Amino acid sequence: MHAVRGGDVAKLGVLFERYHRPLFDFLVRMTGNATAAEDLVQDVFVRVLKYRATWRDEGRFETWLFRIARNARADYFKSRSADAPIDEAADHPSGALPAIDMLARDREVARLQQALMLLREDKRELIVLARYRGMKLEAIADLLGVEVGTVKVRMHRAVKELRDIFLRLNESPSWKTNNSVGSCPTA
Amino acid sequence: MEDEQLSRLLPDGVDEREADALDRTWQMLGAIEAPAPDGGRMRARLDAVIDAVEPFRRGPERSAPRRWMFHSYALQGLAAAAVLVIGVGIGSYAARRPQTDSVSEIAAMRVEMHDLREMVSLSLMQQQSASERIRGVTWTGQLDRPSSEVVSALLDTLMHDSNVNVRLATIDALERFASLDEVRRGTIEAVERQPSPLVQIALIDFMVKTNERESAATLRRLSQDPQANDAVRARAAWGLQQLG
Repeated sequence: MHAVRGGDVAKLGVLFERYHRPLFDFLVRMTGNATAAEDLVQDVFVRVLKYRATWRDEGRFETWLFRIARNARADYFKSRSADAPIDEAADHPSGALPAIDMLARDREVARLQQALMLLREDKRELIVLARYRGMKLEAIADLLGVEVGTVKVRMHRAVKELRDIFLRLNESPSWKTNNSVGSCPTA
Repeated sequence: MEDEQLSRLLPDGVDEREADALDRTWQMLGAIEAPAPDGGRMRARLDAVIDAVEPFRRGPERSAPRRWMFHSYALQGLAAAAVLVIGVGIGSYAARRPQTDSVSEIAAMRVEMHDLREMVSLSLMQQQSASERIRGVTWTGQLDRPSSEVVSALLDTLMHDSNVNVRLATIDALERFASLDEVRRGTIEAVERQPSPLVQIALIDFMVKTNERESAATLRRLSQDPQANDAVRARAAWGLQQLG
């Protein structure tokens, strides 16, 4: 990143090779849509170029990068809601997710996945960051700009709610159609 | 993927049984797979952006003129990204360089930006996807003075594109270039050759809007053509009236 900030933009390729997979994984799990996730990864690296002068050595680069990714995702869905919806899965997280559904190994896992997509975005984000990105509490707290204790409390609520939704889906698979919890992102 | 115990992420005082239940859910989350990214395609898109940025970063005196080579997979997002970055480049040059140097450099960058927009438009117009072709057609709206290549591509799209929506978007795009002879001739010729009444009507409106009096003979023929769609015939008669 030092080189990129210094003007050697070709080095962005090195950063890309190192970080595009974790970024894509985060974004595809958040959006449920691989095409949107690819576009967003592209957007993240363009923003890295644009804002490279704002990066400071003292911060963790990965945290800075994921902060950009969060903003890119928020802007993406803001612009999507202003225009006509382009991607059904992205606008209706509770809806069909063919790409990921195909990968689900069994019904239970598929239901848990549905539950995850039904979860409110801020809660889903916490789980994705900790469970799939392996981010430590301190890094998540830094990324979200809150205390570690707050992350713990929110994590508890998020996993609890995920489990509740999952159990309700197991009892009644049609429950999701009347309870689109995940479609209302909050700060 | 981390298999860390959830309990370490929870606040103190969570009931043990509840923590166990939540941990089972947590562990099960590990079974949810995500698709893998198409790294090659994404890298190609990024490389195209870097290619677009580098000449401006180095400065025009060292950047030899080059043709932009676009792969079809590099187009989505590239257009906006490249122009955004180049725009930022122009802005930062203007801010950093001494006044005397910056005028010619900015002019050179504007020329390259114009060329880039043309290439993006032309490439998008050749895509399989109709929505991509519409984007290509719409992109020409950013060109002040299109090359003959772009005008020909638009007229070709108007005549031969299989998708009605693309052809309609092309009519909108051509409006900006209505003063060009080839556009006037091409659109007049297209009125009678269009298989879609919708496009024919849009072209008649185009003639009226641009006050294209040379289209009068064509509109007259169309208004009397028994083979033509009723609505087209009526619109052609109305167009003739408007053109006086």
